[in-house]
Amino acid sequence: MSAPIELIESNDPVAVPWRVALMRRDSRPAVRESDEKYVMTFPHLIVREIIMFQLVVIGLSLAAIFFDAPLESIANPVETPNPAKAPWYFLGLQELLHYFPPVVAGVLMPALVVIGLVVIPYARVNLEAGPLWATHSRGKLASLTLVVLALSLLFGAFSCWPIVIPTLIIGAAMLAARNGEQASPWRRALWRVTLPEWIMTWFVVIAALLTIIGVFFRGPGWSWVWPWEQFRA
Amino acid sequence: MTTGEWIRGTSVYRSVIRHGLEDTNRNRSLIIFENLFLHVHPVKVRERSLRFTHTFWLGGITLASMLVLIATGILLMFYYHPSVPQAYRDMKELQYVVDDGVFLRNLHRWAAHLMVFTAVLHMLRVFYHRAYRPPRQFNWVIGVVLLLVTLLLSYTGYLLPWDQLAFWGVSVGTNMAKQAPLIGERIRFFLLGGNIVSENALLRFYVLHCVVLPVALLLLVSIHIWRVRKDGGVQGPPEEGRQ
Amino acid sequence: MPLRRLFALSSLAFLAVLAVSPVKNALRPYRSIQAQYKALGLARATSMKAASVYADRQIAIQQIWIPKFDNRVDRCTTCHLGVSDTVMAGAPEPFRMHVATYHTPGDFPRFGCTACHAGEGLATSKDDAHGTSPDSSAPMRPAAYMESGCGRCHQSETVDEAPTLSYGRATMAKAGCYACHAVRGHEDFRSDAPPFVSIASKTGGAWVEQWLADPKKVDPNATMPNFQLSKDDITELANYLFSLPVPPQLEQAVEQASAEPAGNSANGKVLFRESMCITCHTVDGKGNGSAPELNHIATRATRGWLIAFIRNPHAFNPKTKMPQYSFSDQDVRDLVAYFEDELRDFDAPKEILDPLRVNQTLADKGHELFKNYGCFSCHVGTERGGERFGPDLDGIGDRRASSLDFGKRTDLPHTLDAWLAAKISAPRSFADGLKMPKFSFDPEQRRAIVTALLSMSSAPVPEPYRYIPPQQASVVPAGQVGEIVDRYRCLSCHQFGSRGGDISTAPLTFEGSKVNRDWLVSYLMLPTSIRPLLPERMPIMKISKPEAEKLADAIETFYVDPSIPENPFAGRPAADADPKEGERLYTTLGCRSCHIIGSSGGYYGPPLTDTHTRLKPGWVYSYLMNPQKWRADIRCPNYGLTDTDALRLTAYLETLVAAPAAPTATAEQRSAR
Repeated sequence: MSAPIELIESNDPVAVPWRVALMRRDSRPAVRESDEKYVMTFPHLIVREIIMFQLVVIGLSLAAIFFDAPLESIANPVETPNPAKAPWYFLGLQELLHYFPPVVAGVLMPALVVIGLVVIPYARVNLEAGPLWATHSRGKLASLTLVVLALSLLFGAFSCWPIVIPTLIIGAAMLAARNGEQASPWRRALWRVTLPEWIMTWFVVIAALLTIIGVFFRGPGWSWVWPWEQFRA
Repeated sequence: MTTGEWIRGTSVYRSVIRHGLEDTNRNRSLIIFENLFLHVHPVKVRERSLRFTHTFWLGGITLASMLVLIATGILLMFYYHPSVPQAYRDMKELQYVVDDGVFLRNLHRWAAHLMVFTAVLHMLRVFYHRAYRPPRQFNWVIGVVLLLVTLLLSYTGYLLPWDQLAFWGVSVGTNMAKQAPLIGERIRFFLLGGNIVSENALLRFYVLHCVVLPVALLLLVSIHIWRVRKDGGVQGPPEEGRQ
Repeated sequence: MPLRRLFALSSLAFLAVLAVSPVKNALRPYRSIQAQYKALGLARATSMKAASVYADRQIAIQQIWIPKFDNRVDRCTTCHLGVSDTVMAGAPEPFRMHVATYHTPGDFPRFGCTACHAGEGLATSKDDAHGTSPDSSAPMRPAAYMESGCGRCHQSETVDEAPTLSYGRATMAKAGCYACHAVRGHEDFRSDAPPFVSIASKTGGAWVEQWLADPKKVDPNATMPNFQLSKDDITELANYLFSLPVPPQLEQAVEQASAEPAGNSANGKVLFRESMCITCHTVDGKGNGSAPELNHIATRATRGWLIAFIRNPHAFNPKTKMPQYSFSDQDVRDLVAYFEDELRDFDAPKEILDPLRVNQTLADKGHELFKNYGCFSCHVGTERGGERFGPDLDGIGDRRASSLDFGKRTDLPHTLDAWLAAKISAPRSFADGLKMPKFSFDPEQRRAIVTALLSMSSAPVPEPYRYIPPQQASVVPAGQVGEIVDRYRCLSCHQFGSRGGDISTAPLTFEGSKVNRDWLVSYLMLPTSIRPLLPERMPIMKISKPEAEKLADAIETFYVDPSIPENPFAGRPAADADPKEGERLYTTLGCRSCHIIGSSGGYYGPPLTDTHTRLKPGWVYSYLMNPQKWRADIRCPNYGLTDTDALRLTAYLETLVAAPAAPTATAEQRSAR
């Protein structure tokens, strides 16, 4: 006794909870089996989050117990400290002011950085994310070399060595990585780096370097001092 | 029947907490999705995402320092007058008289530095993990704005103690803003409420620091986190062979 | 499960870390200090009632809040609990009772503590409150400079009960600090340094070079500091000074004088003594020292210049304190002859007074140096900008030690007072190329100046706390009398109201109520010694009778105190004017230990032999009632006499009349001294 198969067409999943999928031979979707292990959010993630929060508070509290926040004498517009420093996260900018005209260092460069950050996810080169040297051509090598040298010369013209030196080092590393595909794992890792990653690394190294110089190596009149040299305003 | 059992039996308790105590997957799920704050999480998460190296917890640390900042900031507001010279004097009073005053101020200060620092690191982590790719594109942009808001918060708070460090730090910073062509002077005047760092600037920075920017930050952070959830949870390092 | 254990551990650490700050609060040092005070008070209290005050004490922060005084809050008394507690007299710090001063203990609520002592009044721990770190914006005043605290409110030059501060302010004015440094209240300061107009006719190039190398070495009374100039600098400056043109009428006067015949040295010597030049000048260190040393005067200036100058000093230097003596032409020649015979440096080279042959290139360089070192700040007349040459000193007392440039002086402690003391004793030791000259202050002067500098605040204290003693009117009449006062430079020694010098102990502000006109006329013409103990005397300036009368009339008219009665005996019973009773009082009070009557008595006060001739009875009476009324530093004790006793004593003194003395005899007596 077998009843004939009854076909019902419907869009209502409650009334008709069965589905048959038909697919053509040439349009087979790649269905990947996922062996990912899932765990319950509570307690696994929540407890970890609480521990993380507690560790942050413990760390901050220890800092707060042992190191007092700075407080100098009352603001006095007449008594200019030398050097007058901005908070640390702006000291990279202030360091730039030492090399470039104010409009460039104070407006143009920060604006470029912000615009650069915003467009990252919309740039095709970022989305493709292939290793820089996955495609290899003479033109690419030449143009990249040219860019590195041009940037070095440009910043060298302002004698901004904290930019020129990282540019040359990272530029050299980038160019040297081009034949690293089959080499040692270390060089292979460099080979896999994408162009945006090279640029970001270059930017981060420079920003960190400028900030560190601004914080620790600048004294009266924005002159170079060593951190261990005691200077008084 | 113990007191605990009695309490859990009352209708008031059950109207507040709507799940049982037994350690069952049902109750574990209810904990998450019956709670406004926890329901940004899915009920189950990939085990891999719990690994430290998955995100280095950088966003979490940033959020944690933000919570510390809000808590200490509100307490500090009880002792602070945005006026000259009382603002500076209030710093001294915190130090000398207010119970835990120094601790609160130190905590607020160091948490602020930590937040700026981890926010930057978080951004770098996201970049190198390529977590900005679709569908997370716009969340990256929100993140950049959040970083700017964080910097502004830290910077506006920098002036509030009204000491030499604050005064000259802000003077140097706003002089940079002055360099912008055409509108530079106007921006500076708008920021400071005058041509020099004065009591007007203190009041403006205070309102920005305690009202405008925190509200903006909370809104943006909410969107940022909500979008993380909507886009499939935290994105760790790119997986091998899957581009 | 390790995660749970980790959670437990981190939760415990979390709570522990958050408990640290409240525990620290509970253990603040002032709490145990207050407990100690309680115990000490209970041990020292002599009555149950006093003890109960200590027993009932609550542990709490104490403060003095003065809204009107910069909203000052001083919590010093949180630890210094015994400042106004007599039980704590001589107790160990921090509980010791405050020593009694003019303002304490009565004015604690008005001034608090930091108004005088500085320090951080808001603080509740020792290091913070005392401001021991160099970054402290309010370090406490060191004990050595305590009087600088007085100077914050007391802004007058002299502050009673603050001798160091007053000395410091006086020394700063005398050293001419305000000529280079702008200081609030001294905007009109002008140095006494002479202009250079006549230098080429006065002295020689060699002498000027000696002087520039070290003024104090040439003249210990010199107020000019040592600019520590190199040999080349000195030559260039000397060339510049000699290149300045001498005004023709002065040059002519000097030339004419040098052509005059020589005077009589012996007569000059007598005249020199009689004229009491050492009331201002010194000879071999003997004398007052407020004017140049005269032992080498003839090596210092040419004969012609000396004669011309003594005849009319005000033409050469309009600001000089030297009176214009009414000497005859012969008198001046005699005087200068005496200088040339005896008051000269016999070891000096012959050519010391030879004029310098000016090299214009060197003179131009010298001119640059002159400007570069700010010489024009004191030697006015050549060039001078609107601004002061040196940095402003306002607010110097509020500078933080960490904002000071210690430069090469790594030997100094990082405190403001150490920096200031080093700055005024060796100004150029901090860095190369500094311009401030070296003054030769002794340690006491240095301490006084640092005290005065520390009293200079960046912002003045609020109006109700500013204390400036009432200024006495200091009118100097214009016209003929004014000319006489100017000619004899009365103000160089005497005070009219708040103006004038302090060489004389007799201010002239109320002189008209004090002395009889006729006595004054004869005194002006031929002054006699009034207080034998003092080396300074009124010089005999040969004032003519009409001049003396005009001056005496003016003093009689203008310089009177209306509170002094013309006739104190008016309306009193005759018994009050009984000289016998007065004489008895004179003996019992011991007046004779200081005053001479007849042939016996002390030398401290003026002789009273001629009281009736010299003093008005109203003055004598008012003076006896309160000797310190007109000058706080008068040593005559205030005996608290009753009206009647004062009147009787006055009546006695009024019986004393001077025998008319032959003027020549007095002059001889004086020259014999």
